[in-house]
Amino acid sequence: MKSRRHPLRTVGLVLVILWSIVPIYWATKSSLQTESAARSRPTQYVPLHPTLANFRALLVGQGSVATGIRHSLVNIVIECAAATVVTVTLAALAAYAFARFRFKGHTVLFYTVLATMAFPPYTTLIPLYRIMSAFNLVNTYTGIVLVYVSGFLPLAVWVLHNYFASIPASIEEAGLIDGAGRLQVFWHLVLPLAIPGVISIALITFLFGWAQFLFPLVLSTDLSTQPLTVLIAALQGRHIVPSTLMSAAGILAIAVPAVIALAFNRYIVNGLLAGSTK
Amino acid sequence: MIPAPRRSATPTPRADDTVRDEVVLAGRNDRPARTTRPLVRRFDALPYVLVAPVAIFIVGLAIVPALFTIIESFFTVDELNPPTRFAGLGNFVQLLHNHAVTNSAVNTALYVVVGVTLSTVLGMAMAVLLQRPFRGRGLVIAILILPWALPGVVEGILWSGIFDPNAGLINSLIATFHLGAGDGVLLGQNRLLTVGLIGLVQVWQMTPLSTLLIFAALQLIPEELYEAAVVDGANQWRRFTAITLPLARPGIAVAMVQALIATLNIFDQPYVLNGAASTGSSVTMETYFVSFQNLNFGQGYALSLVVALVTVALSLLVVRFIYRKVEL
Repeated sequence: MKSRRHPLRTVGLVLVILWSIVPIYWATKSSLQTESAARSRPTQYVPLHPTLANFRALLVGQGSVATGIRHSLVNIVIECAAATVVTVTLAALAAYAFARFRFKGHTVLFYTVLATMAFPPYTTLIPLYRIMSAFNLVNTYTGIVLVYVSGFLPLAVWVLHNYFASIPASIEEAGLIDGAGRLQVFWHLVLPLAIPGVISIALITFLFGWAQFLFPLVLSTDLSTQPLTVLIAALQGRHIVPSTLMSAAGILAIAVPAVIALAFNRYIVNGLLAGSTK
Repeated sequence: MIPAPRRSATPTPRADDTVRDEVVLAGRNDRPARTTRPLVRRFDALPYVLVAPVAIFIVGLAIVPALFTIIESFFTVDELNPPTRFAGLGNFVQLLHNHAVTNSAVNTALYVVVGVTLSTVLGMAMAVLLQRPFRGRGLVIAILILPWALPGVVEGILWSGIFDPNAGLINSLIATFHLGAGDGVLLGQNRLLTVGLIGLVQVWQMTPLSTLLIFAALQLIPEELYEAAVVDGANQWRRFTAITLPLARPGIAVAMVQALIATLNIFDQPYVLNGAASTGSSVTMETYFVSFQNLNFGQGYALSLVVALVTVALSLLVVRFIYRKVEL
């Protein structure tokens, strides 16, 4: 039972890796080809004459597709960054209160927050649209960020609550006895110890934001706030954009989350497991 | 702020770690309570200030909207035909007579069966592959979670390159190995094929989380159990069915619930890969069309409510029959 590796295990691991990367490889390959090379038979399984023309067209081109892609790339970064900062800040404060203070309504409020995690994601789609519409927040960053934050807060509160609860209270008592205020204790003693949890939940929140589609599809109807996901789906639906250019747009849209997932996978794995077990 | 002295209502150690002393800090390594305690309990505003923003968000943008959905699903809410009128079960009855909706319900049931089964079986297989440490396991896990991190819409774009009738990988392989002409249209014609392939794209996205959840459960199984089983002469299959499978049940249950929620609410993948076509449309897509194209919000509310209730009911069933608290 030691580390002698069964040949079947090696085959299995190769299949796992292929399963995860073949679709990404195929789109990357296509994005580096001209449309005719991508459609030629016999099929080029590796691009024989790779070209960056598709990426150049999207990143510095003048057409409406290219300017739209660039605009929506800026939008998605703004929306995800803002939603992440607001979510993590508010969740950290509340999670600390839930973990360390006992107050009237503590338990009811805590479980209410957690219970909203069990709502199926689109239960509130129509009412949220009508609320945002009533407050003139359709087609604004504010509207999108508010909806994202309300959706991402419960998981963030839960994960951070568990991190704070696992920190020994004696550390904070020492700080209090030394005369620090309670918020100083939180900021200088507790938060630094919970940094791994804060990073985990910030990365997960950012990835969740980046993946949103149906909410921004409803809440933003023009390029002023449309994130990249909504624009890409619209371009795909119109069937006017060459498939190799669509592939390049797809690669642009997954570049940020893919780099985050690969570079910080330990934080993400820990955060996901902290959020879904216990 | 003056540090408050420790005070406690009862001098005995508290077992429930969610119930904590007012103002004063308490943690897992709680020390015995000291005897000094003030006679008057002062109202402490700080915890309320800390939780207020989250409470406002949750009540205003989750609880209230959910109540809206529940109540207004019994009303005729039509932006083009006001005012809002009580409709009883009218919305639900009309949905039953809407062919696009009933058709999408059949598709969604197929998405659930395909997605939950495949993601759980694949997740189990991958978790077992990763169960014991080996060189490079961290790297394999990093690559494995990649599909989870990507937006569903863009995964639709990636996989449209696999399914494309001309340039797609599947048709290319069919042509290369002389299995056919290699120009078959895979999506949008046959319902079972379309739903199966779109479901596969969602499985690609869900399986990493299923794997991690089951993997975490497997990490808690003591190696001694397997060693004892080997001594007793149990073969690998027997060890899997007698030890791994039963002890992985909490992880399997959570993995199935997340897959259930994702498949019942599938939207991005069929929307991008198959458009509004009836061969692949899901209930959530019909909710979107009914509400935001026909502007019939009442029916949209009713459909959302049905999806939510089915999701919760099926999740509870999974928890009831699969989840077992494992005591080791």
